[in-house]
Amino acid sequence: MRDPNAIDFWRGVALITIFINHIPGNVFQNYTYSQYGISDAAELFVFLAGWSIGIATRGRDGTPEPAGRTVLRLLSRMVEVYRAQLVITAIALAMLAGAALSLDNPLLVEWHNAGPIFGDPIQATVGWVTLLHQLGFFNILPLYVVLLGLAPVFVLIARVHLGLALAASLTLYAVCLVAEINIPTWPVEGHWFFNPLCWQLLLVLGFAAYEWRRDSERFLAWRRRLMPAGLVIVALGAVLSWFNLRPDPLSVPEPRLLFTFDKSYLSPARLVHFLGVLLAFQAVFGWVQPRLTWMTRQLAALGRNSLAVFSVGSVASLGAQLVRFWSGGGFAVDIFVVGCGFAALSFTAWFVEWRSRSPRPSSSV
Amino acid sequence: MALTLSPALLVGVSLAFGLSLGSPSAAQTPQAAEIPGPQATAPSPEAPDPSLSPECRVPGSKLYTLAKLKAVKKALREHRAVHVLTIGGSTSGGLGAAASYPVKLEDALTRSFPDVEVEVDSRGVSGEIAFGAAERLRTMVAEIEPDLVVWQVGGNDALARVEIEGFAQSLAETVAWIKSHGIDVVLVDPQYTASLAKDDYYNHFVQAIQKVAASEQVPLVQRYEAMRYLAARAKGEAVAGAGFRLADLGYRCMAEHVTRAITVSLLQPDVTGSTSPAAAH
Repeated sequence: MRDPNAIDFWRGVALITIFINHIPGNVFQNYTYSQYGISDAAELFVFLAGWSIGIATRGRDGTPEPAGRTVLRLLSRMVEVYRAQLVITAIALAMLAGAALSLDNPLLVEWHNAGPIFGDPIQATVGWVTLLHQLGFFNILPLYVVLLGLAPVFVLIARVHLGLALAASLTLYAVCLVAEINIPTWPVEGHWFFNPLCWQLLLVLGFAAYEWRRDSERFLAWRRRLMPAGLVIVALGAVLSWFNLRPDPLSVPEPRLLFTFDKSYLSPARLVHFLGVLLAFQAVFGWVQPRLTWMTRQLAALGRNSLAVFSVGSVASLGAQLVRFWSGGGFAVDIFVVGCGFAALSFTAWFVEWRSRSPRPSSSV
Repeated sequence: MALTLSPALLVGVSLAFGLSLGSPSAAQTPQAAEIPGPQATAPSPEAPDPSLSPECRVPGSKLYTLAKLKAVKKALREHRAVHVLTIGGSTSGGLGAAASYPVKLEDALTRSFPDVEVEVDSRGVSGEIAFGAAERLRTMVAEIEPDLVVWQVGGNDALARVEIEGFAQSLAETVAWIKSHGIDVVLVDPQYTASLAKDDYYNHFVQAIQKVAASEQVPLVQRYEAMRYLAARAKGEAVAGAGFRLADLGYRCMAEHVTRAITVSLLQPDVTGSTSPAAAH
């Protein structure tokens, strides 16, 4: 088990933020940083995934591992994430159906895009298993699956030249943004909530940031120098978000996605805001770690086990929503469900590490 | 589907004579003289609407509040295709009878307006209007640029028990934004189900949508009221799973109900303000 580090810490922060934001209307939602800017924890999560790919595809001594191993590593991670997505979607469907039966409330089987799965199961079963149909709030792992599928291409290009990988990524992003290219959903007409063809840029940026930090003194110097710019961007984002100021998508010039704050396509404004957040908060971990050691350890433990924690968090946030619906909500209920959720996330992180420490593999039990 | 062609006939005849469309409920207005035959007027708002298929038959007063649909009317006058965007709910486009609301809506609208091409696009919106879904809806509207948005609204927010005031404000702003771009809006409120009949929050929530529809002057399909009416009619057959069967029926009827609200709204006179059959009692 590695010691707390900035990446695990921030990933833990992102996981907690996503958990809270996936219980819409709860009182804590007003206090997550997503409410005070135009980008949110999803950006952080994907950027850190790219950074982790940088770490994972180099050996302990820092030399890049063989290309074949990198490809297999990333693809096997992709399978793992896909499996997690199927499991949590199946559990979510059973939770919605179970709640609908026990509360005698047919509205619940239509919640979060589940309607077609129960109303049109022949098509929608094909849809959700192929990730073409996604439940509301269960749309980050499908993004991650595609990103991991694309990652070997960028990592291998970066072995030739990092700039080349960045240029390829930026080109794909720009083309999809301008031409509005996204993966369609099916059987419901529409597009993926997170467009992987655009969001891949953030993954590649995370990967590149790790590489630069390893190799380039200049990167570190500029990162420090640009911190005030980051603070300005964060302040501007807070003002825009506080006063709910955003461009009107029917009034901006074409190509309109360049100008709007669209989340699906990771519009440039969101990207710039997120980079500002990175610059502004780069020193926070170094400050927090010695002062709040218990909290740092907890958050880093979540971050180290992010897939398991994210999966349990997704199911727990749906559970919390069902409890809020059933009970009518309120401050006490919010404290209870969010508290239980935090406990579940912490336990998950502990349990995964206990299992990997435990000498006997669980399959022999 | 047993939609009669009366509104279509009325629209067609009115267009042919270059007249403005008359109000069905306003028999005292001069336009009424031009309306051909008794079939062309909407039935009394208190009697079950015979133009609907028997299983979906609900009185107008339980089914809709009306307002003008200027953009659709303009498209009809110009004899161009009417582009409709349906938003929200289970909008898969394909196989099963219960799963083809957008397809059914397109059929029903085409039947009501036989001389006009009607194109229906549909989008599901997950998430809450009060927390970001309104923003995604703007993007969808900008992507499709329809003449009319039919918006099944509030289901997600109501289940998430978001604060009603914030929801209503978000809804009003979004409706105003759509209208400000010369696009019509028809709202469809959430479903009725017996287990929520006495839920104060849910009732206030449905009322909040009615208020927004009235203040923003957009037609509202009162799915809640219509389903409550259908549920009361089915009383006596109450057995296990009745709520689920009612939801299924409500869903099957939605295309007809929405089409009816649109066609009757189109009969609103251009001169006077919006009227509501519900407001009459």
